[in-house]
Amino acid sequence: MQRDLSSNFYFIFKWVIIISFVFYAVFPFLWLVLASLKTNAELLDDPFKLPAVFQFQNYSNAIREAGLGKLIINSLVISTSATFLNILFSSMCAFAIARHTFWGKNVLFLMITAGILVPLNALIIPYFAIINFLNLYDTRFGLILVYCAVGLPVSTFILTEFFKSIPKEIEEASYLDGCNFAARYFRIMLPLALPGLATAGTFQFILCWNEFIYAMLLTSSTDIRTIQFGISYFTNQFFSDYVGMFAAVVISILPSITVFILFQERVINGLTAGSVKG
Amino acid sequence: MQIKKDEVVWLLLFIAPAIILFFLFFIIPILFLFVTSFTNWDGISAEFVGLENYTKLFNKKSFVRAITNNLYWCLTAALITVPLALIIALLLAHRSRGWKVFRTVLFIPQVVSSAAIAMLWAAMFNAEYGLVNFLLDYIGFSDYKNHNWLGNVRTANAALIGFSLCYVGYFMVIMLAKTAGISEDYYDAANIDGASQFQKDLHITAPLIKSTFFLCIILAVIFNLRQFEYVYLMTAGGPANKTQVLVVYIWNELSVQRLGRGNAAGVIMIAIGAILLLSLRKLLKSETYN
Repeated sequence: MQRDLSSNFYFIFKWVIIISFVFYAVFPFLWLVLASLKTNAELLDDPFKLPAVFQFQNYSNAIREAGLGKLIINSLVISTSATFLNILFSSMCAFAIARHTFWGKNVLFLMITAGILVPLNALIIPYFAIINFLNLYDTRFGLILVYCAVGLPVSTFILTEFFKSIPKEIEEASYLDGCNFAARYFRIMLPLALPGLATAGTFQFILCWNEFIYAMLLTSSTDIRTIQFGISYFTNQFFSDYVGMFAAVVISILPSITVFILFQERVINGLTAGSVKG
Repeated sequence: MQIKKDEVVWLLLFIAPAIILFFLFFIIPILFLFVTSFTNWDGISAEFVGLENYTKLFNKKSFVRAITNNLYWCLTAALITVPLALIIALLLAHRSRGWKVFRTVLFIPQVVSSAAIAMLWAAMFNAEYGLVNFLLDYIGFSDYKNHNWLGNVRTANAALIGFSLCYVGYFMVIMLAKTAGISEDYYDAANIDGASQFQKDLHITAPLIKSTFFLCIILAVIFNLRQFEYVYLMTAGGPANKTQVLVVYIWNELSVQRLGRGNAAGVIMIAIGAILLLSLRKLLKSETYN
C-alpha cells in the first residue's frame, strides 16, 4: 500500500513537471505562429481565439516590405561559406593533431579548445578594430571570417575526437601504398569522417545562422545585413505592425528549427560528445 | 603516426589556417584588450592613463549594477535552471515513455536564435497583447492586466530571469545523455532490494552524473556571463539601468567611442569569468575526491 502511494506520487510529479516545461518551451512558439496569422486588431482580443481569416499576407508583406528575401539570402551565403571554411580548416587541423605526433601538438590542441571557455563577447571592441584594420568592415567576407574563427574551438574539438575514433589500419595501409599527407586526408580520412563532419557542420551552421552581435557590430549596409540583425529592425520599422514582426520572427527561426529536426541526432551527439568529455 | 621529413611542409600547411585564425581572433584581441584598457583610446588616438578606466568604472553605479546582474544571471542558472534540468533528466532517464519527443521539444529554444527568442518573449511580456498578462488575468491575478513587465523597475529583472528558464532543455539533454551510459546492473540490484524510483534516482543516478552536473553549471556560467541579445533586445539595460549587463555596457561604451573604457570593462569581464571557472573547478575537484 505504501509503495503504491509513493509511486503514484512519483507518476503525478513526473508528468506535471514534464508537461509544464514542454508548455514553457513550446507554447510561446505556438502563440507566435497563431499571432502572426491575425490582424493587429485581433491580436488585442483573446489570444487563443482563431483569427476570422488567416492573414497569410502578413508573411508576404514582411517579405516584400522589409526585404526579408534579401536578408535570408545574405544569411544563407554567409552561414554556408563560414561553415564550409570552418569545417575545412578545423578538420585539417584536427587531422594533423589526431593522426600525427609533432612538437607542440598537445599545447596547440589545449590552446585551441580552451577558446571554448573564453567569454568572446568581451572582445567586441578588439574585433571591431581588427576587422577595420583588415579593411573588411561592412563586407560579407569579414563576417564569414569572424564566424569561421568563433566556431573554430568547438569544431576542432569535435573533429579531433572523431578522427581519433577512426581505426588507424586503413590509413596506415594507404601510407605504405605511398599516399602522401594531403591524399590521406582527402581520399581516406574525409570520406570516413563524414558523420563527424556533419555533426560539427550542423553545429557551426546553427551558430552562424543565429549569430546577432557580430552582425550588428561589423556590418552597416542593408545589402549585406543578415536576417537575425534584420529582424531586430522590425521593432522600430513596423512600430505598430506587430503581426508583421511576428511573421518575420517565424520566418527567421524556421531554417534553424528545420536543420535541427533533420539532424537532431547529430546535434545531440555532438553536444554530448563535445561537452561530456570536456 | 610519425611525420616523414618531406611531409613537414604538409603538416604546417594543414595547421596554418587554424593557427592564423586563432591568433587573429583569440590571442591578439585578448592582448589588445588588455593593453588598450590602460589608455583613453577613442578610435583615433590613445594615451596611457594608467588605472583611470578601472577606477572610473568601479565608481559608476551602472557598471557595478551590470556586474551584479551578470552574477545574478549566473547564480540563477546554477541554482535553479541546472537543478531543474537535472530533475527533468532523471524523470526522462531509462527510456521513459516518450523521452525522445520530450528531449527534442525541450531542446528547441536552444536552436532558435537568441535574437528571435528575445523578440518573442518581449512580445509575451507586452502590456497590451502579451500572453503572460492574459494568462495571469485568466487565473485570477487581474492586477496584472496591463502590467508592463519589462518596463517596470521592480519586475524587469524577475521577468528576464523567468524567461531564462526556457533554456532548461539544453542542460537536460547533456545530463540525459550521461544517464544513458549508466549500467543497468545497478538498477537491477536495486530492484531486487525493492528500491523505489525516487531512491534509485537519489542513490544511484545522481551520484554518477555529478561531474556532468558540475559541467553544466560551468557552461551555464559562461553563457550567462557573455549573454547580450536578451537584455539588449528586451530592455536595452533599462529601466533606469536596472537590468544592465556587462556586454550591453561594453556595447554602449563602444557606441560613444570610449573604446579604452569599454576594453577595461572587457578585461574585468574576462577576469570574472576566469575566477568563476577556477573556483568551480576547485569545487568540482574536491567534490569528486570525496
